[in-house]
Amino acid sequence: MTGSYVGKAKGGKLIRLELSWTMDRIDALRLRGDFFAHPEDGFEAVEASLPGCLLTELGAAFARGIAERGVTVFGLLPEDLDDAAQAIVAAASG
Amino acid sequence: MELRYLETGFNPAAFNMGLDEAILNAVAEGRQPPTLRFYGWKPRAVSIGYFQGIEDEVDGAACARLGVDIVRRVTGGGAVYHADELTYSIVLPEAHDLARGTILDSYKTICAGVVEGLRILGIAAEFAPLNDVVAEGKKLSGNAQTRKRSCLLQHGTVLLSVDVDEMFELLKVPSEKMKGKLIEDVKARVSSVSAMLCRDFGYKEALPAFREGFAKALSASLAAGEPSEAELDDARRLAIEKFGERSWVSKR
Repeated sequence: MTGSYVGKAKGGKLIRLELSWTMDRIDALRLRGDFFAHPEDGFEAVEASLPGCLLTELGAAFARGIAERGVTVFGLLPEDLDDAAQAIVAAASG
Repeated sequence: MELRYLETGFNPAAFNMGLDEAILNAVAEGRQPPTLRFYGWKPRAVSIGYFQGIEDEVDGAACARLGVDIVRRVTGGGAVYHADELTYSIVLPEAHDLARGTILDSYKTICAGVVEGLRILGIAAEFAPLNDVVAEGKKLSGNAQTRKRSCLLQHGTVLLSVDVDEMFELLKVPSEKMKGKLIEDVKARVSSVSAMLCRDFGYKEALPAFREGFAKALSASLAAGEPSEAELDDARRLAIEKFGERSWVSKR
């Protein structure tokens, strides 16, 4: 299934999340927005590592990834990804 | 403490972003000292943040019709319409005193130059974390920072005047239904030096005030110079091969 979300993150910035998933597992993901991340390529490596994780664990996987890679993110919290994923799944479920 | 000081005038968006990166390369390789640069944009331009999507943020047809450049920055943050503004960039080694502390600390340290420049003009402004400078609760300056090659690059704008309606001809909004309200919100939250001073205030007038403001706030003596030929060559190359390339502009 696929879906997208646009909304204001609790972290303060606008996020756009596009997801595709099978059963409860993420196949692909695109995350865009006006947040900041240092270093930027570290953030992209974390983003690239997220497919394969469970929808319900997206925020936790993101938090783990940025901690492991020493990425500092402003304007976007791990829970924002959980909120966005939940909204996408809810919309897809009708 | 000394900073090289450059005034590079008005240039196209891809060259402007190329020159910021060329200066970063030169400082990173020890070819140039820490550098403060002031510049403008000709033609006018929209820049988008590193993590933004061009299709999400910018009306490409409107930009083409109005002759407005589009570029992706190496820094995060939001889309910016660069029209009547003074833009600065500063490049420092990460070990430099002005770059020490947390990322938030360095934003505040560098934005103090903007705050001081505004104070010189009679505008009481303050740093508003993470990356804005505000006066009377309204944004006058947005700033964005990246760290690459053991250097800090921060660039930012000082709004000299602002036309929010024109800006929203070029920028897309998340919901067309909400566009009117969004425009009103931005008009309420954003101001400019001209609006604050109740008179037209232009780029040439801004330069000395912000030059003095940065020198004072950063406790720096500014050594006026020019970009080296190597930096200009690098900037032209980056303008063509990176910032002007569709693959970069459409990266996300």
